[in-house]
Amino acid sequence: MTHEDDRALTEALIAARSAGRRCALATIVSTKGSTPRKVGARMIVDPDQGLVGTVGGGCGEAEVIESAQRVIETGTPERVRVDLTEDFTTWSPAVCGGVMDVFVERVDPAIDPTRV
Amino acid sequence: MTSRIDAAEAARVMLAAAESGQTAAAATVVASGAAPELVGQRLVLVREARDPQLTGHVGGDGGTRSRGALGDPRLEAEATTLMDEAIADPRAQDGLRVVQSTIGGGESTEVELYIEIRRPIRELVVVGAGHIAQPMAHIGALLGYRVTVLDDRPDFATRERFPDAHRLVRADFSDPFADVPIHDRSHLLLVTRGHKYDYECLIRALRMDPAPAYIGMIGSRRRVRATYVQLIDEGVPDNLIERIHAPVGLDIGAETPEEIAVAVAAELVLLDRGGSGSPLKDVERVAERFFGHEREEQEA
Repeated sequence: MTHEDDRALTEALIAARSAGRRCALATIVSTKGSTPRKVGARMIVDPDQGLVGTVGGGCGEAEVIESAQRVIETGTPERVRVDLTEDFTTWSPAVCGGVMDVFVERVDPAIDPTRV
Repeated sequence: MTSRIDAAEAARVMLAAAESGQTAAAATVVASGAAPELVGQRLVLVREARDPQLTGHVGGDGGTRSRGALGDPRLEAEATTLMDEAIADPRAQDGLRVVQSTIGGGESTEVELYIEIRRPIRELVVVGAGHIAQPMAHIGALLGYRVTVLDDRPDFATRERFPDAHRLVRADFSDPFADVPIHDRSHLLLVTRGHKYDYECLIRALRMDPAPAYIGMIGSRRRVRATYVQLIDEGVPDNLIERIHAPVGLDIGAETPEEIAVAVAAELVLLDRGGSGSPLKDVERVAERFFGHEREEQEA
């Protein structure tokens, strides 16, 4: 992830929390084999604003978005294993031949101390 | 280090550190067998850039600040050691580390930590705002460098010519870096309008402490040779001269300014990531190794 990506993602996280929106942050924490994005790639799932960043797109990302919806609901972090090792002959764009672990955690709005 | 720090606040602290020349690290619990309530807890360290000797005491004294908590003092000590090791190793990659820890003084349990590092932002300082500087600033920004372009001609280092540069500086080549702080993540490319200026900047760059990560200088084989002779005459030691990348860039047959910028950019990536600089086709020899072998077997 470049510095500019990092800045864009961080600014989006800060914007979501100051606007009082609850969202989820997904981070690739490990990969095996060939994966579209590498360890450290992050994606914000913001129910109001959509996605910022990417953890690789395709079917794998759909699993991560499903997890993010649960995490936003429950607040309990999840670790999602995304398997991209399906048969190469399907020619699906999501087939890369690797496996990755994505850590999904909730980001809550900033607690305003004057309102507690 | 009592209060929790969430992902947004951690990202903000680490970004601010990298942008102010500091190194930051974070350890996040992503799995914890015996204590699932620790998952998602995070400890962030921010280290002052100029003092690598400091030992990273959790608590914030002596050049290292910490934020957040992992919910267990022994686990925090282990995480701090891992983050210190990662900070000290310039090739360390973000990723998972498994530690055995006794949470709350109980049985030893396996804890998986995700360790991430943010180093001070990489800078590309292009000295001379001419025809190579333009594509170079562009590609540098694309690769994630914070680009500074400097020249002594005010109508060359302009926003119109360098739309994606972070800073444009009007500088006198006799003291070019007066307004441009150089650190060990700075990459200098000397492409002024004259070799005399390149040489003056080169001498200054070689004497910098801390030394920049990269010093590249444009010039033909003959020009570069003349520069080295002059440096040796001035008593510049060989080990400093060996640090100069000149002629600059990888050998890809570059001719146009754009191609030269690509060759220099490739050299920067090579230094950062490692690699041979050869075509992957020749390095991996996929066809030769696999298909050739199978064919031999079939024929046998």
